[in-house]
Amino acid sequence: MSLITVLSPMTSHFQARSFGSMLVALGYIYPLQDHKRLVIKPDASLYRFQTPYFWPTQQWPVEDTDYAIYLAKRNIRKKGILELHEQEHYNRLHKWMNHKWDFIVMQAKEQYRAAKERKKPDRVVFDCQERAYWVVHRPPPGTVSAMDYGLDRLIDPNADEVTGESLLVKYCATYNSHDPFLSKCLPSNPWLTDDVTYWTLNMPYVEMPTKMRVERWTFSFAELLSDPRGRNDFRLFLKKEFSGENLAFWESCEDLKWGEAATMSEKAEHIYKTFLARGAPRWINIDGKTMEITVKGLKHPHRYVLDAAQTHIYMLMKKDSYGRYQKSPVFKETVKKAICPEEHHFTDAQLEQNAKKRRPSLSPIILRQMEQEQRAKMAATVDITQLCRFTTPVPHLAVYSGITDFPSANASPSLPFLAHSPACPSPISVALDSTSASERRVEAGEGEGEGNPAAQAAAGGNVSKSRMALSLHRLLKRGCTPATMFASLSPKCHSAAGTSSRIQPISPDQPSQAPPRRIGNFFQIKVDIPPECRIYPIESEDEDEENRAASRGGVGAKEIICPWESLTPQNGTG
Amino acid sequence: MPLVNNKVGDDCTVGTDKALVDGKAQVDSLIKVVACYRHLASYVGGCTDSLQLRDELRQTREKALTLAVSICNHLTSHLRNKSLPEGQRKEMELLWVAFSSSLELLHVDMCKVFNISDIFSLANTDALVQTGLQGGGSEVAARALSLPDLNLAPNPTLSAGLESQERSTMEQEISQMDHMIDDMEMKVNVMRWMVEPHGPQYAEVLSSSDSASLALLSVDEEQPGHQPPCQRSHIHVLLLLFAVVLVAATLSVCIIFFT
Repeated sequence: MSLITVLSPMTSHFQARSFGSMLVALGYIYPLQDHKRLVIKPDASLYRFQTPYFWPTQQWPVEDTDYAIYLAKRNIRKKGILELHEQEHYNRLHKWMNHKWDFIVMQAKEQYRAAKERKKPDRVVFDCQERAYWVVHRPPPGTVSAMDYGLDRLIDPNADEVTGESLLVKYCATYNSHDPFLSKCLPSNPWLTDDVTYWTLNMPYVEMPTKMRVERWTFSFAELLSDPRGRNDFRLFLKKEFSGENLAFWESCEDLKWGEAATMSEKAEHIYKTFLARGAPRWINIDGKTMEITVKGLKHPHRYVLDAAQTHIYMLMKKDSYGRYQKSPVFKETVKKAICPEEHHFTDAQLEQNAKKRRPSLSPIILRQMEQEQRAKMAATVDITQLCRFTTPVPHLAVYSGITDFPSANASPSLPFLAHSPACPSPISVALDSTSASERRVEAGEGEGEGNPAAQAAAGGNVSKSRMALSLHRLLKRGCTPATMFASLSPKCHSAAGTSSRIQPISPDQPSQAPPRRIGNFFQIKVDIPPECRIYPIESEDEDEENRAASRGGVGAKEIICPWESLTPQNGTG
Repeated sequence: MPLVNNKVGDDCTVGTDKALVDGKAQVDSLIKVVACYRHLASYVGGCTDSLQLRDELRQTREKALTLAVSICNHLTSHLRNKSLPEGQRKEMELLWVAFSSSLELLHVDMCKVFNISDIFSLANTDALVQTGLQGGGSEVAARALSLPDLNLAPNPTLSAGLESQERSTMEQEISQMDHMIDDMEMKVNVMRWMVEPHGPQYAEVLSSSDSASLALLSVDEEQPGHQPPCQRSHIHVLLLLFAVVLVAATLSVCIIFFT
C-alpha cells in the first residue's frame, strides 16, 4: 500500500487503493501476512513484489502439471498440510494425470531438494512467491477477486460485505413472510387453491391495498415506487407537501429511459422546459453541478442523459420525502384502511369445485384498457394545489402535460421563476374541475387515453382560476399541443397575475376554500359531465382576455427556450 | 525396476535391462536438471539477476539439452524395436512419459526465461524487480551441473553483442527442443492412457538415500547458527519498510490536506 502511494502521489487515495488491489489480485504483488486474501489493506501490512517468472503478463498457460508438482512439494515438506480444496485438487489430478504421476512425484522431490540448496531466507521467499502465485491461479473456494468487473463487482473488501451474507440474510428475513410460497399467502395462494381472490385484491391500481402490500412499501423506497398503488399514494402525499414535481420529474425520466426512441428528443426537450430550465413551470431543485452536466448532455440527448439528475432527485425523495411520507397522515390513513383478508379454508370438495371453475384471466388488452381507465380516474382525483402529470407514457408526446404550479408568479412578468414556493397559490393552478375534466376528455378524445393532470383550484387560490381554465380549454379546443400550452401558459401566468385583481368576481362555481378532499369528490363527480354541460363563467368576457393572452402567449413562447435551440423557437414542437 | 531373472541369459533382454537402467538414470538426472533450471529461472528479472545467473542458466540449459538428446536417441531406438518384451516396453513407456513431461517443462521454462530476459535487460539494473531475495542461484546451479562447487570464470562483461548472442543461442535451442518434441511424437507412438505409474500418490518425506540430501541435512543442523544474522537482516528490512510506510503515510496525509 505504501508502495503505491509513493509511486503515484498524484492520484487520489482511493484510486491508489483500487490500483493496488488490482495489482494484488492479478498477482504482481502479494501480501506477506494473510496470503490467502489478495486484497490491499489500508494498514501497514507488508507486500512484496512477485518475481517476473510468476507474473501473469504474458498469460502463459497455468499448467495442472505444475500445480500437481507444487502440491506434492508442499506435502513433502510437511505431510497433511494440504487444505481441503487442495486435497481435492490433488486427488483429482492424480486421477487425471495418472500416467505422469511418477514424473510428478520425482520432479517434486527434485525441486524440493534443489530448493534446499538455497539459503533459508531465499527459500522462504521463494516459497511465498510460489504460494502467492497459486493463490492467484488456483484460488481457494469463495475467494473474491478484484478482477471481477461488472455490476456484480464487489468493491468493498470488508468481510461481511464481501461474503454478502448479511445482505442476503437481511433480505431473506424481511421478505420471508411476504413470499407466497415460503409462507402463508392471504387469503390463499391461487396456484394452490384455484381461487383468484389474492390476485384481485392485489391488482396494480386497487383502491384498498392489502396490509401486506402496504407493509412492503415500508421496506424500501424502491419498493414503494415500483408498486403503482404505492406510487399513487406517495404522489398524493407529495401533492400535499407541494413537492410533486420531484416525483413527476423522476417519472418522466423513467419514461425517457424506457420509452420509444423516436420521441426521445422531444421528450427530453419537454422535460427540460418543464422541469429544468430557469423559470420552468415545475422547476426541480438540483445542485449546480448536476444541472450543468444535464444541460450539457441535453445538447445531444439520449436515453440516459438525465440519469444524474434523476438519481439526485431520487435520493432526495428517498432521504427526505420518504421518511416524512411514512409518518404522514396520508400513509397512516392508507394503513388503517388496508384490508387483511381472511384465510380461506377450502375443503377438498370445494377445491375441486374451484378447479372446475378455473377460467383464463383477462386478456392483456382488456387489462391495459382497465389500467388506462384507472389512470384517468386517478387523474380526476388529483389534488388542486399541484398540477402534476400522470404517468401514462404518451405515445407521441411528452407526458408532462401537467399544468403547473407556479411559484410566486406575482413577480414582474419578465422575471423568470427561480424558486418554487409551496405556499404560493398558483394563479395558474387553476383549472376548474370542469375544465380539467374537459381537458381530460379532450385529451382522451385525442386518443391518448391519458388523464391529463387537472389543474385544480388551490385551497386558498382564488385567482383567475376560471380564466386560466378557460384559456386552457380554448387552447385545447384549438388542438394545440400541450407544449404550446405550456409555453404559452407561463407568460399567461404573468398576464394573469397582472390582471388578477380584475378577475376576482369571475369565479363563481366552486368553493375555492373547500378542503381538498371534498374537492376531490367534487371532481370525481364532474368527470362524467360532458363538455357541453360545463358550468362556465361568462364566456364572452374572457374572449378578449383570451386573445390578448394568446398573443402574449405567442410572445411568451419565446421565454422558455432550450439552450440548444436557435433563438427562433419552434413553438414547443421540439 | 524388476530385473528379468533369465537363467538362459538372453543377451537381448539383458541388454535392454541395462538400457532400461541407463535410461532411468538419465531421466532422473534430466528431471533434476529441469528442477534446478526452474529454480534458476525464478531468479530472472529479480534483484539478484546478474550475468552470473544468466551464465548459470546457460550452462544448466546446455547440460539439460545434451541429456535430452541422448535420452531421446536412446529411448526412441528402443521403443521402435518391435521385439521388445512387454514388461520392458511398459517400463520404457514410463520413462518416455517422464522424459516428454520434463522436456515440456524445460521448454516452457526456456521460453519464459527468454521472454523475461528480453524485458529485464541487465543493462538497466534499476528496472529489476525487488523480490526480496538475497542470494544468487549458484548452489542450485552447482547441483544441476553435479559439481561440488561452481568454479566460475571471472564475470563476463556485459556487452550488447553478448546479449544478442545469448538470445540467438536461446532461440536456436528452443527451436531445437521443439523439433525434438515433434520428432518424438512422430516416431514413437506411446499411448499415454495405457501407462501406469509405479509410485505412490503422495511423495514421501525426504529419504536419506540421496547423498546430496545427507549433506543438506547436515547443513540444516548448522542453520541455528546462521539465524541471528538472518534475523538481524530481517529486522533491518522490517525497519526499512516501516520507515517507508511512515513516509508514505505522511505524504498521503499531505496530499489529502492539500487537495
